[in-house]
Amino acid sequence: MSAGGFAGKVLWVDLTRGETAQVPLDMSMVESFIGGLGMCLKLCYDAIEPGCDALSPGNPIVLGAGPFVGTNLPSTSRVYAVSKLPTTGTIGWCGAGGFTFGTMLKNAGFDHVVIRGRSERPVYLSISDDDVRLIDAGSLWGSTVEETTHALWQQYGTPTGVLAIGQAGENLVPFSMAFVDRISTVGRGGFGAVMGSKNLKAVVVQGTGGVRVADRKRYRALNTELCDKIQAWPHLKEAQDFGMINAFSFVPRDDFLRMKKRRAACISCPIGCKDVVEIPDGPFKGLVKCTSSVINLYTPMLYGFRDYRDSIKCMATIDGYGLDMFEFFGLMAMTQRLLDQGTIPAQLAEPEIRLDSLYSMEAWARKISFGEGLGEVLARGFRGIIEEYGEHTKKVAPPLIKGMHPYAGPGSAIAWPLFGTMELGQVLDPRGPHVGSGGSPTYFAKRPLDVFPKHLKRMGVPAAAIGRIIKGDGTEEAARELNVGALLRYSHAWFTTLGSLGICARGHINRFYDAELCAKLYEAVTGIPTDLPALRHKVDRVWTLYRLANLREGLEPGRQESPPEQWFGEAGFKRYLSGEPLTRSDADRMIADYYREWGWDPDTGVPTAQELERLGLASP
Amino acid sequence: MGKYQIDAVPANCAGCLRCELACSDTYTRSFNPSAARIRVVMSGEDCRIDFTEECIECGMCADHCFYGALSKTEKGGDEQ
Repeated sequence: MSAGGFAGKVLWVDLTRGETAQVPLDMSMVESFIGGLGMCLKLCYDAIEPGCDALSPGNPIVLGAGPFVGTNLPSTSRVYAVSKLPTTGTIGWCGAGGFTFGTMLKNAGFDHVVIRGRSERPVYLSISDDDVRLIDAGSLWGSTVEETTHALWQQYGTPTGVLAIGQAGENLVPFSMAFVDRISTVGRGGFGAVMGSKNLKAVVVQGTGGVRVADRKRYRALNTELCDKIQAWPHLKEAQDFGMINAFSFVPRDDFLRMKKRRAACISCPIGCKDVVEIPDGPFKGLVKCTSSVINLYTPMLYGFRDYRDSIKCMATIDGYGLDMFEFFGLMAMTQRLLDQGTIPAQLAEPEIRLDSLYSMEAWARKISFGEGLGEVLARGFRGIIEEYGEHTKKVAPPLIKGMHPYAGPGSAIAWPLFGTMELGQVLDPRGPHVGSGGSPTYFAKRPLDVFPKHLKRMGVPAAAIGRIIKGDGTEEAARELNVGALLRYSHAWFTTLGSLGICARGHINRFYDAELCAKLYEAVTGIPTDLPALRHKVDRVWTLYRLANLREGLEPGRQESPPEQWFGEAGFKRYLSGEPLTRSDADRMIADYYREWGWDPDTGVPTAQELERLGLASP
Repeated sequence: MGKYQIDAVPANCAGCLRCELACSDTYTRSFNPSAARIRVVMSGEDCRIDFTEECIECGMCADHCFYGALSKTEKGGDEQ
């Protein structure tokens, strides 16, 4: 008998042998690692062959959905995939708004799926309650994400969760991704290639078992209060209608309203932020595109496209292949510079590389996805170009962190200047540069420090730590300091809380949750006695295990957690409060503060023996 | 027949399935879209909202809709 909230089983898949096994969920492990993201990290830690290549059979894919997924708590659809990623060489979490995938997984009776080995031929994993099969994917191989997903929906009906890769993943492009239900992206850093390396085209799941909660009365009371709060939010309608567009001025409302077909929500979400748009006129009239945000569809505009309709068409192609758009455009920009300076022979650039041209960008997306001509070099990412044309080419590369292009900051697509936790986090999350708020109040706009304590308390930051994060208690703003490194530690902890439970981390949702409420809900849903200190302790254990897993894989904090040079100087980041240019010594201090606040050695970034003892991780 | 008339506006539906979750929980004590008496059917990029024969028009689905896709009217009374 499993606790409420959990489906109760883990599905183990051995692609090499073509075998599957359904194993009861280890509830003692759950007690230690919460569920969802936390359990994915633990299962990966245990299942991976340490030191393996990311694209080798020894690298597992661990999928999972937390205990709240499948319930009707607001916005609890999150799905996580944990694996070693080929671009960064680190074990990374990959998260997605789960649409129906997580809920169907839970309804099928599984909290997690652990996929190991490598199939000899292309297959997809079919989960229909406890009927689990590996099915020949020969007819799907070579299809786009969109085509694959629709083909499987046609076959299985809806609701059915589909995790699928496109041709870029099949061809092991290290910046390929997978998609959930053809909308939510999974895995910057090359998760698509990991699936491709296993000859795994897709995972399709449907279930009819239901998800129960342990204490229905308490659950209902807490859920009703939470839903009422959301219903009473004065900005609810605006958020439902426009979502994140308000924060990104490069998406004109008029354009959006012309093409908006409808907004789309992950299961259980009252503030759906995904978009379904239809090009209203022009040569691509009638093209319908689903996206995790219409903002993404404007990425080509940031690189020079002038017509939003071309931009949407381009993104339909890039998403179809399953390419990471930021890596793709960053790579194109670097290649163009190397062509201009003659490092890459001009005759290799056929067609001409033009970042403002739909024809050119679609052609190069294809050449990269299929490894054609120069596309074969570019398909190895920034590392491939540098290996092929020499170390000196780094001078024209964009900022790189663990071999990946951060998409926010100086020299990146979204050039916001203030250096808060989201920016520092691009260096300090082992998975590589990823932009997510983690609930931190430094997300986006500069906010007055006075509002920080309320947010920090909501995130579960202990009172003593709030004093370390915000120094100075006078009313003079200039006399105060914000410790971004210490704040990031708690931002990562809050993200871990949300991810392990299954709650969406997007700002417009997680603002309604707080750590105390999370502990109460965890207890009501699962029946596992939990209070805030106990939840904090488990969260600390999860993130520290994530650290240990990557140190075991060879993470070198001193080298790999060092910010790129482009972040400093007059054109670099600015300090969050003062707006003064960020210096490397500022960043180094923040990094040491981050390590120290976690209980890790501030010089080496390695968890101390004392901290490992506290967390019960001395022998994980 | 139930207490309410349920009106559906599929164009407003975001596909969150909160209605199916609430319905199934009410009648099966578990969150299970396949057991719901309301069905949000996604067809391509469009959606359709159907009710099964077991639906007794209790209005629980409308109570949980945040998007204005479902509303309930007390028979002989006002829309809610």
